[in-house]
Amino acid sequence: MSKVWKFVTKDPEFASLIVTTLLVTGVLYVLLGDRVFSPLGVSSMAIQLAEFGFLALGMGLAMLTGGIDLSVAAAAGLAGLMGALVMSGSVIPVTETNQTFIMVLGVVATLGTGVATGAINGFLIAKVSVPPILATLGTMILFTGLGMAITGGNTISIVVPEFSALFAGTMISVFPLMFLVLIAMFIGVAFFLSRTMAGRRVYLFGENEIALRFSGVRSERTIMMTYLLIGLLIGFAALLIIARANSMRIGYGQGYLLQAILVVVLAGFNPFGGKGRVSSIFVGLILLQLLGTSITAFGLTPYHRNLMYGLILLIVMGLNFFVNRPSRRKKPPAIGGIAPSTEAIILSDQRTTS
Amino acid sequence: MLKKSPFRMLFNRAMNPMERLLSIVIVLYIAFVSIRNPLFFGPQALFDIMSTGAGLMILALGALIVLISGGIDVSFAAIAVVASYTAARLSMVLEIDNLFFILAVAIAVGAALGSINAVLVHVYRLPTLIVTLATASVFHGLMAITLGMKTFTQTDVPQSMIDFGRWYIWTIENEDGSRITLSGFVVITLGVMALTWFLLYRTRIGRSVFAVGSNEESASRIGINIFATRLFIYSYVGMLSALMGVMYWSRLYYINPDILYGFIELSIIAAVVIGGAKLTGGEGTILGALLGLIVYQLFTNTLVYLGLSPSWSQLFFGSVLIGMLMVIYYRQRQANKKALVFSTV
Amino acid sequence: MATHTPLVSAKNLSISFGGVLALKGVDVEIAAGEIRCLAGENGSGKSTFVKMLAGVYQPDGGELIVGGQKIQNFNPMQASDAGIQVIFQDLSLFNHLSVGENIAINKVTHGKSRMVSRKKIHDIAGPQLDKVGITLDLDAPVSSLSMANKQLVAICRALAMDAKMLFMDEPTTALTGREVKRLLEIVQGLKDQGLSIVFISHKLDEVFSIADTITVFRDGRKVGDFAADELTEASLSKHMTGREVTYERYHRQQTTTEPLLEVKNLTRTGNYENISLDVRAGDIVGLTGLLGAGRTEFALTLFGLNKPDSGDILVAGEAVKIGAPWEAMEQGIALVPENRLEQGLFANQTVSSNVAVAVTDRVTNPFGVLDAQKEQDFATQVVNDMGVNNKNTSAKISILSGGNQQKVVIGKWMLWEPQVLVLDSPTVGIDIGSKSEIYERIHRLAEQGIGVVFISDEVEEIAANCNRVYVLHEGRIIKEFRERDMQGETLAHDLSEIISNPDLGKPMAGRVPSSEAGE
Repeated sequence: MSKVWKFVTKDPEFASLIVTTLLVTGVLYVLLGDRVFSPLGVSSMAIQLAEFGFLALGMGLAMLTGGIDLSVAAAAGLAGLMGALVMSGSVIPVTETNQTFIMVLGVVATLGTGVATGAINGFLIAKVSVPPILATLGTMILFTGLGMAITGGNTISIVVPEFSALFAGTMISVFPLMFLVLIAMFIGVAFFLSRTMAGRRVYLFGENEIALRFSGVRSERTIMMTYLLIGLLIGFAALLIIARANSMRIGYGQGYLLQAILVVVLAGFNPFGGKGRVSSIFVGLILLQLLGTSITAFGLTPYHRNLMYGLILLIVMGLNFFVNRPSRRKKPPAIGGIAPSTEAIILSDQRTTS
Repeated sequence: MLKKSPFRMLFNRAMNPMERLLSIVIVLYIAFVSIRNPLFFGPQALFDIMSTGAGLMILALGALIVLISGGIDVSFAAIAVVASYTAARLSMVLEIDNLFFILAVAIAVGAALGSINAVLVHVYRLPTLIVTLATASVFHGLMAITLGMKTFTQTDVPQSMIDFGRWYIWTIENEDGSRITLSGFVVITLGVMALTWFLLYRTRIGRSVFAVGSNEESASRIGINIFATRLFIYSYVGMLSALMGVMYWSRLYYINPDILYGFIELSIIAAVVIGGAKLTGGEGTILGALLGLIVYQLFTNTLVYLGLSPSWSQLFFGSVLIGMLMVIYYRQRQANKKALVFSTV
Repeated sequence: MATHTPLVSAKNLSISFGGVLALKGVDVEIAAGEIRCLAGENGSGKSTFVKMLAGVYQPDGGELIVGGQKIQNFNPMQASDAGIQVIFQDLSLFNHLSVGENIAINKVTHGKSRMVSRKKIHDIAGPQLDKVGITLDLDAPVSSLSMANKQLVAICRALAMDAKMLFMDEPTTALTGREVKRLLEIVQGLKDQGLSIVFISHKLDEVFSIADTITVFRDGRKVGDFAADELTEASLSKHMTGREVTYERYHRQQTTTEPLLEVKNLTRTGNYENISLDVRAGDIVGLTGLLGAGRTEFALTLFGLNKPDSGDILVAGEAVKIGAPWEAMEQGIALVPENRLEQGLFANQTVSSNVAVAVTDRVTNPFGVLDAQKEQDFATQVVNDMGVNNKNTSAKISILSGGNQQKVVIGKWMLWEPQVLVLDSPTVGIDIGSKSEIYERIHRLAEQGIGVVFISDEVEEIAANCNRVYVLHEGRIIKEFRERDMQGETLAHDLSEIISNPDLGKPMAGRVPSSEAGE
């Protein structure tokens, strides 16, 4: 029992998130029962969660470095588009024999495009020193624009049925394959961040980029690598997006941006960087998915859902504010925020005499 | 003897490098397109850009003020929709078909919503981007739930709005009977630009906006009321957005609460950033915002003159945006390196 | 001279923060038309005292009398109305506003009118420039000014608010010698106009040249008020620290002559010019001079953060190019940077994490996975070797005192085993006890054969710790003290002399174009 207590006091935000999620699960089970928690319902939720989860994880990584990635949804769209194009037969005609080959090519195209988008973001942020919010704003418009120019707004259909079957259809008991891949990714990234030096450098960068440089670390590499990783995650998300719809249309998934930021802030990430636990994102994902599905189950509209997300974000920010008051750091904001003012007077003493 | 350029005489300051760069880009683009398609250099294109740009410029002014204060507001499009939709619905329900009534209601709602932003931003001390992202969602969602999302076509839109949208200050009749018109909105926009300039440069609270954006700690030490300043900023933005919303529907004589929000905000902010406003606050000019918006307009709306389909406009604008960002920030990076400034903010 | 009625009178003032007594029983009186200096070590309470007078903190005990009135709940607005103006070290200026607006903004903000015009700004700001006796372009953005001129703008702003008493927190830290002189002249002029000026400074030489009276703080109490001519540097230092401060002089034991690091005619336009020096094993080479001399800029070049325009850097006799910190580290050069909080450590990370970042290879396995045990062992080693008082390596480094934090920073680099260690103002803001402990360890490091470059503007520190010294002025070396020059008793004094009178040094060909305006 004391072990549990220790856990709770060490990270009260995480603990309260878990408790909230359990409570919500309980309440919803009672209210909605089989409608939401049937095997089909769980699979459906799991796959939606997986699709969005990769993007959320990417957003979380960006926030750890003190930035934000506004282009996650647009990049996923572009990556999915590339894969769909390959698998639509317009590039190489699809025949009886080359289906698997085309599918593999399509997967490579999707993942590759994802990583490429990460490379572009990483280049702008690391090598040109464009503030992350502006760089990703620009790439968001660029990626969407690229997709629109290529498709003209039309939908591209995939003609390789194995693809959808594999990525959207495969189930292990009640859980979709990609959901398990997501979990594996979370575990991998969590391990990377907490147990490797390269991962720790991500936190250090977000906390104090200057000190990182002064410690002799190639800080530009750290950022570049982070955004490449985000790009890979975006690629996975894209695979799932096109697998579920068996097609791709630009503009799909636009609402994900607000949700991604919501879930990361919900998970206790500091928008200024340097603090955040990856496993919290996963719990946040579950919570959000439950809420989102129930909204639909209750017969409410997407507008209700967005309203709810906005409210939750405001409430969570308010709570975090009160919880985090003593440890707020004086750091120049990276995403258009405001530096706390009273701290500066007190902190300025540390630099000089008193 | 300092030679004063005509610009300097008019604006009492020199053009900053960004404005110069943008002016060159604009002139080059116009020249290029005009050569390829002489139609472009005629009144049709010009009036078109001005008429549609009028409303966007008003939004850009709002975005500019927030950027000068060191924040980023992404809720202004949502406020534009909510405020104007509320006003239009109210007008229809109460059967008060009066433009001033509609404008008054819209502006009041806009101010109120903006004030909510101000309170949250001030109290939360979290990035304004995230706070306003949330409030945009909440405002729009509340509207959707309480008022519904019904669209209205010409038959239902209040006549006063339609008349407003048809207010032209210049009409050119063509030989074939078609008309080229310049919307009266341009006059409104010029007025708002003048008002904004006056507020920012000739009033105490306007200077406080610059002070807060430049160095918030010092501003509070001096005794500037930061909260009052924020209240001014965000409610002013709200009012401007509301005005734009009414203008927008009036010109379209069609009201659809599903558009605008989620589509235009980031492009407007991008345009203002191209115009020289910095994320870090304290910097930004009205002329810069105008030039940035012109670049946005040119690169998204005039592709048809080059024979390209509209699907290419975002790609174009995105490329220009990234190009400008690279220029601005690479220069800054080099300057920082030289001056041994390590902080990137 | 000072008049008899005190402008500000503090009686038995005390204040605590979170249970810790910061000031106790302080009695201070400041009259009109005097120049006072508040002197004291870090943590002595002088800044806290000023903040109470400025209305930022409320005293827990004692009373404050301003202009003859007893004050309760003093707030910054009241302090300002009473004529008390404080110029903090960061000057509180707005870089994006003009000079005139910066001067006038305080007055405009609290004035009745809501409008602002260029004429109004000029009407308010212009006369203040006259009072100070300088000319500046009122419409120029403040960001275009030199640090010294920015400071004058801050002073003008205070004058615009009808200041009767002006507090200046460490005003000379960022000024060159010439600028310091000009500032002191201006302060003298203000005193003649009837203002009181209160300096907070730990720069003893400046204190002496200008102050009428010196109030010394120590450990939250006032030690006493002393007329400037009553004190010597030694006696002031003794009052400030409570003990006779003598540090062990360092003497080099090694006899090798090949330099570990050599610099030949290194030039970086605008920062420094024609710097040539060498560092041998066991040397602690001092680099001193006023700000603007180019010391930190030079240190950054050695660490790859400030590319030189011409000249050579030789490590173990071979010319190298150092383009980035990791390249410097490849050459065995490490830097303890000047700004501890911003550049030296990660405040929210643990002590062990701060240590680990420098010795990555030793705490990870071949795959890059961290070995928690090794990390902790190394951190413990640093904590023990450096004498950090808090042995818990999992504690956030921000809870340590400045001195202990700096010990960790220095310790982590020592752990890394550099060939050359550059220390840039390593003991700024550190208590006496930690200072001597750090000195001791630096001596030990040099004895082990490392070459140390010690940058500081504290003459005592340089005299005690270095076996050779180079004095810089405006980017050039104006005097070299070789080992035999370091033997005299008057070394510290000689150093001060050169620093404040650079013309006494060896004249150099050509002139470095001075970037400071105002002459």
